[in-house]
Amino acid sequence: MTPDGSFAFPVGRRRFVRTLAMGASLALLGNHAWAVAPQAVTTELKGTQFDLEISKIAVNYSGKARFATAVNGVVPGPVLRFREGDVVTIRVTNRLDEMTSIHWHGLIVPAEMDGVPGISFGGIAPGETFTYSFKVRQRGTYWYHAHTLAEQTGLFGAIIIDPPEGSSPDETVQRDHVVMLSDWTDEAPLQVFLNLKKQSSYYNFAQPTAGDFLKDVKVLGLEQALERRRMWSRARMNPTDYSDISAATYTYLLNGAPPAGNWTAIALPGEKVRLRFIGAGTATFFDIRVPGLPLTVVATDGQPVQPVTVNEFRIGPGETYDVVFTMPEDRAYTIFAQSMDRTGHARGTIAPRMAMVGDVPTLDPRPWLDPVDMMGAMATMDMPAGGHGIMETPPKARHARTEYGANTDMRVDYPRTTLDDPGAGLRDRTWRVLTYADLKSTGPDPDPREPEREIELHLTGNMERFVWALDGVKLNDSKPLHFRPNERLRIILVNDTMMSHPMHLHGMWSDLETPEGAFQVRKHTIAVQPAQRVSFRVTADAMGRWAFHCHLLYHMAAGMFREVVVA
Amino acid sequence: MKTLRTFVASACGLACAIVLPTSVFAQEAAGQPPEHQASAQDHSAMAMPGVEVPKSAQSQPMDMGAMRGGATPAGARNTDDYADGYRNSTLANYEMADKLSVPKVLVEELEFFSGNESQGGSWSFLVTKGQDNDKLWIRSQGLKTSGERLDPESSAEALWWHSKAPFWGMVLGVRQDIGKGATTWLAAGVEGLAPNWFDVQLTGYVGDDGRIAARVKASRDVLLTNRLILSPQVESNLYSKASRDRALGGGLSNVELSGRLRYEVSRKLAPYVGFVWEQAFDGTADIRRADGGPVTERRIVAGLRLWW
Repeated sequence: MTPDGSFAFPVGRRRFVRTLAMGASLALLGNHAWAVAPQAVTTELKGTQFDLEISKIAVNYSGKARFATAVNGVVPGPVLRFREGDVVTIRVTNRLDEMTSIHWHGLIVPAEMDGVPGISFGGIAPGETFTYSFKVRQRGTYWYHAHTLAEQTGLFGAIIIDPPEGSSPDETVQRDHVVMLSDWTDEAPLQVFLNLKKQSSYYNFAQPTAGDFLKDVKVLGLEQALERRRMWSRARMNPTDYSDISAATYTYLLNGAPPAGNWTAIALPGEKVRLRFIGAGTATFFDIRVPGLPLTVVATDGQPVQPVTVNEFRIGPGETYDVVFTMPEDRAYTIFAQSMDRTGHARGTIAPRMAMVGDVPTLDPRPWLDPVDMMGAMATMDMPAGGHGIMETPPKARHARTEYGANTDMRVDYPRTTLDDPGAGLRDRTWRVLTYADLKSTGPDPDPREPEREIELHLTGNMERFVWALDGVKLNDSKPLHFRPNERLRIILVNDTMMSHPMHLHGMWSDLETPEGAFQVRKHTIAVQPAQRVSFRVTADAMGRWAFHCHLLYHMAAGMFREVVVA
Repeated sequence: MKTLRTFVASACGLACAIVLPTSVFAQEAAGQPPEHQASAQDHSAMAMPGVEVPKSAQSQPMDMGAMRGGATPAGARNTDDYADGYRNSTLANYEMADKLSVPKVLVEELEFFSGNESQGGSWSFLVTKGQDNDKLWIRSQGLKTSGERLDPESSAEALWWHSKAPFWGMVLGVRQDIGKGATTWLAAGVEGLAPNWFDVQLTGYVGDDGRIAARVKASRDVLLTNRLILSPQVESNLYSKASRDRALGGGLSNVELSGRLRYEVSRKLAPYVGFVWEQAFDGTADIRRADGGPVTERRIVAGLRLWW
């Protein structure tokens, strides 16, 4: 981005703009700049009756013309605005030549309305219209997306649910914007999956090199340089394996705009602003900050939390965070969302007028994963951030017998249990970074019954072969998890891998617990860090069959997925 | 004397092909990798003085190798117990991507060479197709000189590959030699990624002419940059008895050391240049000498590595 707001692009800008228009209203500003009118980046549909049409549209994010999957002609799809208490009817018509679906992420709906092909229903066949109808039982920021590989191609959009008529809003703000972060690839999603299956390091171009080794030798000496590599080399694991897919194929989008597009929201000095961040990446965690502007987190996954002011937070695929702030000055602020692997970023601007540009930070260098990401509690004493609770007796993980096979390349016997770790790449920050320990629901435990029983599940993988599973068993080799009607149960997740996995349970809330086992915060998607143990409570009040899976799309496809039966 | 040496060499070959892989399995399976000893040190280096670590934890080797594979302890959870007899949904369009049969063609080497003995071309490729734990492998390698000589190792194999451990698989199948004096062999072996990222293939063969043979290959990618990659490789072949038609003696037949430097234009396409040094030993060397050929060959190679 050049200072006057223009951007360099390998193809004709005109064609790029035209193909990117996608039905959304675009304001062409100045000679060499364009921006998207903030309120109109995507259409907003409001009411109780909705007609959605899924079709292919031409887009160009990278310089190459490609097809994306749009809802009503736009990517992301239109914002759906519901009201708590309403019964909404959504007719979804499939204009593609393949089966598709829409899942209402985080919404508590009847099982047959949940939109998971093969579990909720048979999917929506080409040419067919499926009518979703359900009562809206909650409020806040949510989203919808395809529950197929088409999620990668743009089939997603925001859901905002307002409180019932007459009740007071959770936050009174003058400006309210959705910030939907996603990752776009010019490759077909199946091709991406096959590339990873054939070479799991396919998209990682930041692996340690001989040159890095020589640099380390120079700085640390030969012995230390070797020592630094020993654990990883023996384990045959890569210390830069933050995520499977990088900017080598991805263009990171903010509300459908690439960084050069500079999506802009208007806010005048003194105005209170809410940004509703939605992690719609299929394989990307984003680290978000607005330099110069502390953000107060007031909700996560649609649910209000005790306000906590931070300078940066990490959002996993599937999660949402509402943040509020008061616009301090008459200048442009950059919304900077770098991918966790530090290969690229999405970017937008919040400014008093259009066509203003704030400084865009440079990408951070990609640090190596820390020992704690492989060894769990055994390494917590080594945490650079310090003060990360010394564990008197770390609970020992109970491995499943199916974790002793070829599909599981790592088992953590003593996972770390604290939630106050922002995660690899954010541990050395000099500013305040949100951690899960900061997230506390405003209300009491919605179901104060003590859990009657526990289900322990381990997140497992074979990174080299790109096999992902739960307890070493892939979806199609597995049997469902049985929840008894209305029981309160505790799910214990132990991450036996070196990657973070955002685990999403459909149909029921995931009430995240403190390490001590007390209710802490209500969520629908819980990111479990490498070698970490988390537990959450579930009230099995939703009869039927549900999906429970890692929200990294290709991990889900590879088998990190279980069916849940409440019966 | 020579017979004895041949016998010893072939016995060593067999030992290599059978005992070594077995021991690798055994070590990984027992959760006690060769580097286990050193790993305990890693742990103590991690722990900070004055920090209490549970006794049971202290005795755990901290190395990853100890935290994978291994014997299933008695009393380990059975994940199927959570199902209480329920089965997965049978509705249409269930997510089946974890059962995808993935086809891959890897042309490891497709090259021209110019050497002290001759010029020609050689190949090495691997075609795989199957799900995560069982695949069909078609593996072939060979070398042909402009003088119509076909390298005695020129062969094609059809194998069943089965994953045995997180980084190891076993292969079972047949090998068919190509060219004059071709033998058909039963093949059994292991392949995998050894600690420190060594790609290893060890295969033992029993031929229809009663010979026994072994082939060993090991290589490692050295990343000069993330696209410029040096790949040193060693290959060796052993035979229990001579095959006059293929100019192979008994015993250690050859050792080939090579280095190929490739540039990955994309992951799937990488031109390379390299150098190969091949030494004939034992009976094979005798035959070469008798035929007036060189015992040592040096070749400069240039080729393409590609996969799809």
